[in-house]
Amino acid sequence: MNRPAPLDRLTRLITFAARPHASYQAALFRIGLGGIAAAFLLREWPHRRLLWGDRSPWSAEMAARVIEEDHRFSVLLWSGGHWWFELVYHGAIVASVLLMLGWRTRATSVVFLVAVLSIESRNIYLGDAGDNAMRVMALYLAFTRCGAVWSLDARRRARARRQGKPVDDRAGVAMWQALGVLLLWVSDGFPHTAWAAVLWAFWAAYGVWYAAHRWAWGHQARDLLDAVTAMLHNCAMLVIAVQVCLIYGTAGWYKIQGALWQEGSGLHYALHLDYFMPWPALAGLLAHSMLVVFALSYGTVIVQAAFPFLLGYRRLKNVLLAAMMLEHLAIGVVLGIPFLSAMMIVSDAIFLPTSFLVLVGAHCSRLARRVLRRAQVNQSVRKHPPSGIGHAARG
Amino acid sequence: MLEGPGEPGPTWSLPSLALLAVTAAVLLGAALWHLALVFLSIAPPGPVQRTYAHAIEAHVNPEFGQDWQLFAPQPLQANVRVEARLRTAAGSGTPRTGRWTSLTAQDIAAVRHNSLPSHADQNLLRRAWDFYRDTHNRREMPTDARGALAAQYVKRIALLRLADDAHGARITALQVRSRAVPVPPPHWSDRAPVRNTPHRTLPWWPVTDDDRRGL
Repeated sequence: MNRPAPLDRLTRLITFAARPHASYQAALFRIGLGGIAAAFLLREWPHRRLLWGDRSPWSAEMAARVIEEDHRFSVLLWSGGHWWFELVYHGAIVASVLLMLGWRTRATSVVFLVAVLSIESRNIYLGDAGDNAMRVMALYLAFTRCGAVWSLDARRRARARRQGKPVDDRAGVAMWQALGVLLLWVSDGFPHTAWAAVLWAFWAAYGVWYAAHRWAWGHQARDLLDAVTAMLHNCAMLVIAVQVCLIYGTAGWYKIQGALWQEGSGLHYALHLDYFMPWPALAGLLAHSMLVVFALSYGTVIVQAAFPFLLGYRRLKNVLLAAMMLEHLAIGVVLGIPFLSAMMIVSDAIFLPTSFLVLVGAHCSRLARRVLRRAQVNQSVRKHPPSGIGHAARG
Repeated sequence: MLEGPGEPGPTWSLPSLALLAVTAAVLLGAALWHLALVFLSIAPPGPVQRTYAHAIEAHVNPEFGQDWQLFAPQPLQANVRVEARLRTAAGSGTPRTGRWTSLTAQDIAAVRHNSLPSHADQNLLRRAWDFYRDTHNRREMPTDARGALAAQYVKRIALLRLADDAHGARITALQVRSRAVPVPPPHWSDRAPVRNTPHRTLPWWPVTDDDRRGL
């Protein structure tokens, strides 16, 4: 087609914008968020009623007042019954695991978001920066196409493509219908918020998208919808990336203003807080040496403040990311904040290069296949032992 | 169904192109608008933040509210210890005042040698006390509409932890006190160690059955 130059440029720009970018990074982020939430909820399982349930010092009445004043919502407060709480809590665990596995991610990511917000809003005076990051990132994740790769959804689509058939997703349609009925039932459960409208919008978009794929196979309407959702995905990934930079930026810039970080002894104080000292001997060892404390204090501030600016340098960026992840791993152990550290490691990981992620992904699937094959071989050996071995065992 | 990354996309007709261009502009604009407001909400206070405080607040809270000033600008330099004691009435009605119990010490014991500390030990009391401290003045009067909630939260945590101290007697009142033990500066530093440990002793709070509901 012969088009004038500015139009050609626009076409190229739109074609670029309408293609989903950072699919592997989004998938990794999804797996990370789902995995961390599931692990956290399982870890707190023995304390669940004390922290968010009927035995909480932050009673349901207190929570209801704050939720109303702040224009929040919490599914947990829809009923005071114990079994409702158990249903929501265990439902949140299931949603986290399904998100991690990538099962019907379009709907699951929204269910996951509702679960995360509900549990956090039940007691806003309980969480730490890790819970804060989880809430914000779960919100952004719902707008991404996080199930395009490394998911059960992707596997199902690949299988359909191999067989040359359109995807016949009965479970997805059934889930969509069930969610619609559910939403109709609970639409008045989000007073003073726009959440009912937001959830209906998600539901409607999900429905339109299904319809376009079901009835307009190969039609331009489908391509257009795909392009719009890809753009939304791209914007959400951009927001996630900038959000990570804002986290590091503020953490670093505020530290620069503090006299203790300026003199290089900030870490000494962080290592002597009882609440963040699971291993006193380890903290004491680190805090003992002036040079170690100085180097780590300065290193932390420099890396955090420089993070957004270093991302532009490809080679330097990857070294920086590796250093950041190692530091967070160490912080998670030394300060006893493993879930916060895991959130930051997952957030760092969205900046890893696609080629590296593809390589790691291929390696992992090869490893999984090998383990699976070995397990199958073992099983068949146990079922049909070679005659010699059976003989020896009997003898 | 989904375009794999790197595959060429479809060629667009002119109306589609126009529609997509407008959509792209709106989406990108919304994303940048959102990021700008989040940035202003966590940036240090200034004239711009003050002028648009209402718009920033309305957009960011509660869903996107955030605080990343962990250990900044200064790391915490004191370990706060919270203690509580009960007053009980036995059958005869003579009041008995129990011993001070360190609630913080219970938390610290649970965090020690635990690679996965629970929010129940690491955050519950710590954040409740921060909430109380932020909403009360030095004369223990609430300075915020949520002051009463904060006091109730601390009271219920203490009641939960001290339930066994009553030995079955009826709990009539509860008292809480705190002490901030400063972290000594490093041995190579020329900073003078802080000698005073700020105390605060809260008035006795009456306890009713309503306060203990659900605990």
